[in-house]
Amino acid sequence: MIFREVEDPDLIAKARRGDVEAYNLLVSRWEKRVFNYLLRLVSNREDALDVSQEVFLKAYQSLPKLDDPARFSGWLFRIAHNEAFSMLRRKRPETELAGEPRPADLNPRLLPMELSMAVETALGRLNPDQREAVLLKVYQGFKFEEMAEILECPVSTVKSRLYTALDLLKAMLAPMQKAALRGEL
Amino acid sequence: MNCSSFDSKPESKPDWKAYVLREMSADAALQAEAHLATCSICHEEVATLRLTLDTLSTLRDEEMPRRIAFVSDKVFEPRWWQRVFSPTLAAGALVAAAILVHGSISMWTGRPSQIPQAQVDAAVAKAVAQVEARHMQEIQAAYEQLDMRDKQVANLVRNAMLSQ
Repeated sequence: MIFREVEDPDLIAKARRGDVEAYNLLVSRWEKRVFNYLLRLVSNREDALDVSQEVFLKAYQSLPKLDDPARFSGWLFRIAHNEAFSMLRRKRPETELAGEPRPADLNPRLLPMELSMAVETALGRLNPDQREAVLLKVYQGFKFEEMAEILECPVSTVKSRLYTALDLLKAMLAPMQKAALRGEL
Repeated sequence: MNCSSFDSKPESKPDWKAYVLREMSADAALQAEAHLATCSICHEEVATLRLTLDTLSTLRDEEMPRRIAFVSDKVFEPRWWQRVFSPTLAAGALVAAAILVHGSISMWTGRPSQIPQAQVDAAVAKAVAQVEARHMQEIQAAYEQLDMRDKQVANLVRNAMLSQ
């Protein structure tokens, strides 16, 4: 017998009728992705967890407004984006949000286990818009059009942010990549 | 074909970032790959982009410090014993008890309408007090049972955490 996995739209329909358990199942499917996206965006575990909670609460309250349940992921990440930037604006002055990344000064002789920390550092040196573009594309796998909906901006802006971010990351990570190719890592 | 062939039309040079990010249409990707096979400059550009993406992918997702869950509104719904002892049903039970008491007295005395009103009122008050006392006992017992179950669950959770 083939068991069909319950699809997100089925759970959304149940949650809309007040079935909290169905919503909890939906949350369990998405919480890790949303948490990690927020973690890279706000750079603090507790803040990321608090904002995640807020995101899923707002999503539950706004479920009746979701026009197309098939587009739940983009809709959810739009809420996450709005909540994260709202929190960042409350916590930090606007000037800090648009800070330019500093020149690359990462240690090229890193141990392999430190590579991911170096990536985290490099991501942290992007400005929030660029970092978010990388998070949505590289780590969450959204298409340009979906990113444009989440960020509420034109596709051209999405591409511009992402391409600039990739150029910066390429420059910042190049020393490590060369060291890795030389077998120093 | 090499990159110099795009000098006059730089806008037609393949968008390599879109290519490595899988945002290029199938037809455009085929054309780009044909160029890639003959152009060392573009080949190196694509290799560097792929290396950057590979390096980015070394960053793994973190586990959540604690799960997110929403408590069902059922918590606020009345429990079975609260439904059983709801005010409406309790009032009905009291009225039924009063009628029974009244009927019993009537049958016993054989004089349905000759019992003093004060006696009837006292019997009803007594029946009401008995019913209320029994309800209170049952509610108290239900609360104690729930408390005991909560403590058992808390102990189980604590033991599980200590054993990890």
